[in-house]
Amino acid sequence: MSHEEREELLKGTLDMLILQTLTLQPLHGYAIAQHIERLSGDVLAVEQGSLYPALERLQKRGWVTSKWGPSPTGRRARYYTITAAGRRQLGAEITSFDRVLAAIQRVLQRA
Amino acid sequence: MSFFDALRYRWRVLTNPNSYDREMDEEFRFHQSIEAMQQHHAARGLLTTGEARVRARRRFGNTTYHKEESRTMSGLGFFDTVSQDLRFAIRTLRRTPGFTVVAILTLALGIGANTAIFSAVDAMLLRPLPYREPDKLMLVSVTIPASHGDAPRDDAPWSYLKAQVFRGAQRVFSDLTLSANDNITLQQEVATREQGEVVDEHYLPTLGVQPAQGRNFLAEENRPNGKRVVLVSDRFWQARLNADPNVLGKTLDIGGAPYTVIGVMPPRFAGLTGHADFWFTIGARRPYMFDANEAWDHEFTMVARLAPGVTAARARGDVVTLGKRANEAFLSHGEVSGWGATAKPLDRARVDPIIRRSLLVLLGAVAFVLLIACTNLANLFLVRSSARQREIAVRLAIGAARRRLVRQLLTETLLLAVLGGLAGLTVAWWGARALSTLDPERSLGTHNSGLGVVDFATIHLDWRALLFAGAATVVTAILFGLVPAMQATRPSLTAALKDGTADQRLRAGMLRRLTTRNALVVLELALALVLLAGSGVMVHSLAKLMGVDLGFQPERVLTLRISTTTSGDHGDSLATFYQTLLTRLRGLPGVESAALGNCPPLTGGCSRTIAWVGGHNPGEVNKGNEPPIGVEIVTPEWFKTLRVPLLAGRLLTNADRGPAKVMVINATAARRLWPNESPVGKMVGIGMGGFDSVTVVGVVGDIRFNSIDSLPMSDAYVSYYQSPRSQAIVFLRTAIDPTSLAGPARAAIREVAPSSPIYEIRTLQSRVSDAMAQASFSALLLSLFAAAALVLAVLGIYGVMAFGVSQRTREIGIRVALGAERRDVMRLVVGQGAALTALGLGLGLIAALSATQLLRSLLYDVAPSDPTTFAAVVAILGIAGVIASWLPARRAARLEPTDALRD
Repeated sequence: MSHEEREELLKGTLDMLILQTLTLQPLHGYAIAQHIERLSGDVLAVEQGSLYPALERLQKRGWVTSKWGPSPTGRRARYYTITAAGRRQLGAEITSFDRVLAAIQRVLQRA
Repeated sequence: MSFFDALRYRWRVLTNPNSYDREMDEEFRFHQSIEAMQQHHAARGLLTTGEARVRARRRFGNTTYHKEESRTMSGLGFFDTVSQDLRFAIRTLRRTPGFTVVAILTLALGIGANTAIFSAVDAMLLRPLPYREPDKLMLVSVTIPASHGDAPRDDAPWSYLKAQVFRGAQRVFSDLTLSANDNITLQQEVATREQGEVVDEHYLPTLGVQPAQGRNFLAEENRPNGKRVVLVSDRFWQARLNADPNVLGKTLDIGGAPYTVIGVMPPRFAGLTGHADFWFTIGARRPYMFDANEAWDHEFTMVARLAPGVTAARARGDVVTLGKRANEAFLSHGEVSGWGATAKPLDRARVDPIIRRSLLVLLGAVAFVLLIACTNLANLFLVRSSARQREIAVRLAIGAARRRLVRQLLTETLLLAVLGGLAGLTVAWWGARALSTLDPERSLGTHNSGLGVVDFATIHLDWRALLFAGAATVVTAILFGLVPAMQATRPSLTAALKDGTADQRLRAGMLRRLTTRNALVVLELALALVLLAGSGVMVHSLAKLMGVDLGFQPERVLTLRISTTTSGDHGDSLATFYQTLLTRLRGLPGVESAALGNCPPLTGGCSRTIAWVGGHNPGEVNKGNEPPIGVEIVTPEWFKTLRVPLLAGRLLTNADRGPAKVMVINATAARRLWPNESPVGKMVGIGMGGFDSVTVVGVVGDIRFNSIDSLPMSDAYVSYYQSPRSQAIVFLRTAIDPTSLAGPARAAIREVAPSSPIYEIRTLQSRVSDAMAQASFSALLLSLFAAAALVLAVLGIYGVMAFGVSQRTREIGIRVALGAERRDVMRLVVGQGAALTALGLGLGLIAALSATQLLRSLLYDVAPSDPTTFAAVVAILGIAGVIASWLPARRAARLEPTDALRD
């Protein structure tokens, strides 16, 4: 899987994807990235350089909390959990994303 | 709760940055280890674990960069840059210790002086008065039209009965009160002289003050000869009554009569006069004030509280109308029409208007000094940033944000300012202490109409002053930091980056920077000129004051007050007592002459009445239209003791006793009452009991009784032996240091009059200094500020010129190489300095002409735009400016062209 085939993430959507991923269960950073890449059929790439800053940003806003816990490999890992406020935020972001997406599609169809 | 989650997160990040760092490392390592495992599995054994780890690390990217990005997100980034900037600033400042010390000292003086003056302004003008809702209180005063050469007044006190008419008619105040100073003799183990007030029963309710113990006066206690009751201060109760818990109902011996204590005031309350320990009713102490024939006797201060919903302006309108009516109610008792009343907020009347003006002028002046200091520092920073030009250009070129660079430079100035501010607090503390001891006699603040509550002793550094110092520090940092920072980072990259010759650099950013620096120098010179001109006219005025002929010689004269308990009704026995006393005092070694007087010179005068030529029956005299005259009671040797010259006739003698009243008048009275003839032997009447027809026996020189800066008025001198008083000031002219006689004089008086309190022992010279204190206080401080401004401005010009020359070394070298004479080079450089100086002086002159107008009310016999002073100031600054540019010019002219070009 070479790097070039992957698509850049749409600006501002990473936070939404992380929140969505965390609705399933608490995950560590690597698993979050893996999950997004897998579900997108390896189209979307999550750069470490944006993943960890994004996680810090989400924590600072209180949408995500984190806790250290044992991982299957035996090493300690930091597990991220979505908060109630994070779920509310996710709902809001999906709604506005849907609206933007629909609008873009309308524009493209008429073009 | 997202709010608390977020808060907890920030708390952890901020309080524990090290473990935050470690955790991030661990998290990244974990990420890479899983990535490596994945790579290892995906390659199905083609990759060793080591190779997989390398590949994972490569895939992860720059760990440090990710970490920094995360830190920025977490909110730590801000603190990172701040602490980075701070460390950088400390390093830079430590590299140039000379610059740093000069800058910090300049700032310390500037901020410290500003804070000290602010603390004085705060204590004297800003701090709320210690009464309930002080902004509702107004000072209601009587207005007197101009007459007989006396200026009109709008700050005169009330007569009791006129005030009662006013009270009955007014609707704009919810309550109002009358009060006056009242000094008493208290007999405990020894007799002491104490300060108190006579007040009415409305006094405490109007001010909104509750006695800490006991009760307020009752209405019936304020009737003529009402019950003798007294309220005492907390200070007196603690110190002199040993905080007696059963003090209520006890009696005090005051002036030989028993007064029952009915209450104790709350702590620190000292009345409107600011120094009262006793409060009496007007009825008990001044019963005669209730007699309609005494309606002329104006003694009481009226303070009133605005009724709810009434504005100060509306109240003043009513006061003016009702004041006229209150005066006219007594026309049938010989009062003159034309008197009225006016009101102003008590807050406006808290200090003497001259003091208010002086303080505001000083605050302005000291702010100017700080501004000049800022200008100088800005210049210094510009020089430094020129030296750092390449460093800054490189950083801009490799992508440093301009905002970040400006912030870094500002951090440097802020650090300097904070250090300067901290050092300035020491200066401020010292300055505030010096200011608070400036007025030991409390004569400055209360000189004309000020309240004693507000006084120099209350000046101290408090949290308000600290807040001011903090604000001054920040403003200062921005003032002297922002311009250089913006200039230094202005993107003129190419010119600065080129490994440029001096010429190229000069043509690019330097030129603009030089223009900025020139503008700063012009500003500095203009500011300095305003300060110098202001202090110049003040000093000129002070010199005129010191040259004023007081009319007496204050050197080597000791004064002290005594209060005899022998009743004043027995004139003969009092005269005998005084003669015994004076004989005893003259016998003291070192005493040249001794005399009594009732009025110290230069203290606002004592008693004034009217005089009518010819000496008619007083009933026929129209009291308003006769000329006013001051009356001083003296013993015959008084003129000799104060060295007041006799101009005509004779002085008073010890033989002038009995019913045939005589008096001596001063030159002004002689001129006013008998413009064209000699007054000696003429008859005159004055408005004082028993002095309806008095023979004028002599004329003496004028004395300034009122104040040092007001012209002498008419005065008459009457002998103690014809008008005995129980109060007297002893004047001793000595052959030795007068203060050394204080002890012996006190002992001698104790022998003759063991029960008479002796107080206010001081030299006449100190009274003169006090009278000049206000003028010398402002002039001295202003001169200090102006001197600082002069030094700073000269340094500023020198700095700019020297820098300019060093930038133009190559150019000058080429000029000299091409044949320019040294004289031409000198002319070039000095000419530029002179042009800047002339521009600064021109602008400063315009500003100074209007600024010194603010000083008008503070000046004695000097015009605010006094041409001599202005010419001198312009000359001083002009010469200083030329010298400051001549020194670098000389250096430029001595340049060897080879040296200059090789550089």
